[in-house]
Amino acid sequence: MNNGIQTTALSKQFANGVTALTDISLSIRQGEFIALVGRSGSGKSTLMNILGGLDAPTTGSVSINGKAVDYKDRKNLIDLRRTQVGFVFQQFNLIPSLNARENVAYPLLFNYTPKEERNERAFRLLEMVGLGERSDHLPHQMSGGEQQRVAIARAMAANSSIILADEPTGNLDSKTSAEIYALMRTVNKEKNVTFLIVTHERELASYCDRIIELRDGRVIA
Amino acid sequence: MIAKEMDILRLSARQLLTKRLRVALTVLGIAIGVAAVIGIVALSDGIRYQAIETIKAQSDLTLIEIHPKTTDGVTQLITETKVEALRTTPHVLAVAPAFSDSYSTKKQTFLQVVAVRGEEIDKVLNLKYTSGRAFVPGAPEVVFGADLKDRLQRNEGIRMGDIFTALIREYDENGMPVDRQVPLTLVGTLGNRDDQFDRYVLIDMTTASQIRGGQKGYDTAFIRVDDPDMVFGVVDQITAQGLEVSGAFEQIKAVNQFMDAILIVFMIFAVFALFVGGLMITTTMITSVYERTREIGITMAIGASENDVIRLVLYECLLIGIIGGIVGDILGYLFTVVLNTVGKPFIIARMGPEFSSIFGNEIAKISPEMAVAGMAIAIVFSLGAGLYPAVKATHLNPVEAIRGLI
Repeated sequence: MNNGIQTTALSKQFANGVTALTDISLSIRQGEFIALVGRSGSGKSTLMNILGGLDAPTTGSVSINGKAVDYKDRKNLIDLRRTQVGFVFQQFNLIPSLNARENVAYPLLFNYTPKEERNERAFRLLEMVGLGERSDHLPHQMSGGEQQRVAIARAMAANSSIILADEPTGNLDSKTSAEIYALMRTVNKEKNVTFLIVTHERELASYCDRIIELRDGRVIA
Repeated sequence: MIAKEMDILRLSARQLLTKRLRVALTVLGIAIGVAAVIGIVALSDGIRYQAIETIKAQSDLTLIEIHPKTTDGVTQLITETKVEALRTTPHVLAVAPAFSDSYSTKKQTFLQVVAVRGEEIDKVLNLKYTSGRAFVPGAPEVVFGADLKDRLQRNEGIRMGDIFTALIREYDENGMPVDRQVPLTLVGTLGNRDDQFDRYVLIDMTTASQIRGGQKGYDTAFIRVDDPDMVFGVVDQITAQGLEVSGAFEQIKAVNQFMDAILIVFMIFAVFALFVGGLMITTTMITSVYERTREIGITMAIGASENDVIRLVLYECLLIGIIGGIVGDILGYLFTVVLNTVGKPFIIARMGPEFSSIFGNEIAKISPEMAVAGMAIAIVFSLGAGLYPAVKATHLNPVEAIRGLI
């Protein structure tokens, strides 16, 4: 039933007293392609981190694919990151010493996937993002767009049903940005993966199924 | 499971390959520590070995002398029951109980007399006569040790076959010393043994007992052990029976104690070297964790647990330890080779040629166990040194780490 993401009355207050999120209740269906917009400091990244299990809310609850996230249980959070949620970052954040295929296979190392299977799946994902030929290349041998493709492939490696992308095109030119969006859209359509994309770019946001706008930690649209 | 560990190990190896010079210097640090330990142990083992071999060659190691223990000034003589217990002790070949007495010659030469049974003492000492024969039980006959024979012949003219007068000191009712004269025949002289028997007079136990007018027990027992390597075990068993034990083995004990003391002092310096090596690893790994803050953050974000992160760091240390151990073993081996080829002639030149026999083979002895121990030390130190950086890495906040806020 409740596939996707549900948040109820989510609030986040930092130790220094800054309130980042106030009363966020969202319902995101499986397979939605959503843009999360708002000024810097509006709480976008905090929300992403909470949804991805990297940070815990002060109050409120999150349920992912029908299961409540227990933020006190570290194992539960690790499991969430291992199996349900993939991350894509603005800085690509590939491991510099690993080549493209190894970077994609990297998350699978931690959930006991055998090596052959890891490599095979990584190669298929690289082919899907159009980098089958470059699987042996190291991150510094690739362009920004290519690196972000690898990062998207990595986010998909563990068959995650949700990908959280924090300004995935922030470091790319407009042409490459459009390509990355197209790629994410393809993945979204073909694999029914939910995308929650933080972006500044209104134009790109308009490609999305839905736009969630945050202002001062509240949902305004 | 194991496959995952191997994969993480491989990842760690690749991380090390990206900073070769730093790793090489760190490895060298731990290797020098290991080499110092190995060199010191090898040198002390070599000297210990040579000293013990020399003792073994020059003294009668399997001969043990036993005395009763004196507690609060009271000596419980060795009884027949205790002698029987000694006979049944494993690795004891022969036991010769004895009691001591002292006579003197007319010219006041002190005679240390050991009263024994001929057959028993022969089994223990394997007596070699340069002239004459053993005494006959019950007869007033004696056998002289080699030194004593020379001295009495020179000073008092007592020769093989002579009957000489022994003075037995006794005390009358008033406590005044009275010397009783007993004629004894010298029926045999022993060959040189380089031990206390060279100065003893051996006499039959029955005869000695008659001279003193009775005997209550034994004050000494001589024991022959079947194997030099078993001596210490036998000594322990006899000590447990409440008897005091002496013999050439005490020299080995003394050598061991001395070498242990020296080893401990030297080891302190070697451990310093290892400690410095360990600090280098800690520094290297702290730097490495700091440089890879973002990478560790990402690794945690994509599903690595804290244990995974700890292993990523500790496996690097493990590899440094293994390489450090191998290099340390090699350096340690080279160190012993240098000691044996350059150091040995130097020491012999300084101490004089008479020491060349002591250092006949090697002054530093390295064993496979030492190499294994060196490896183990390197690994333990490396892992210990990596613990802090590893735990520190898990305390990183992935969010801040990824954003480069740390």
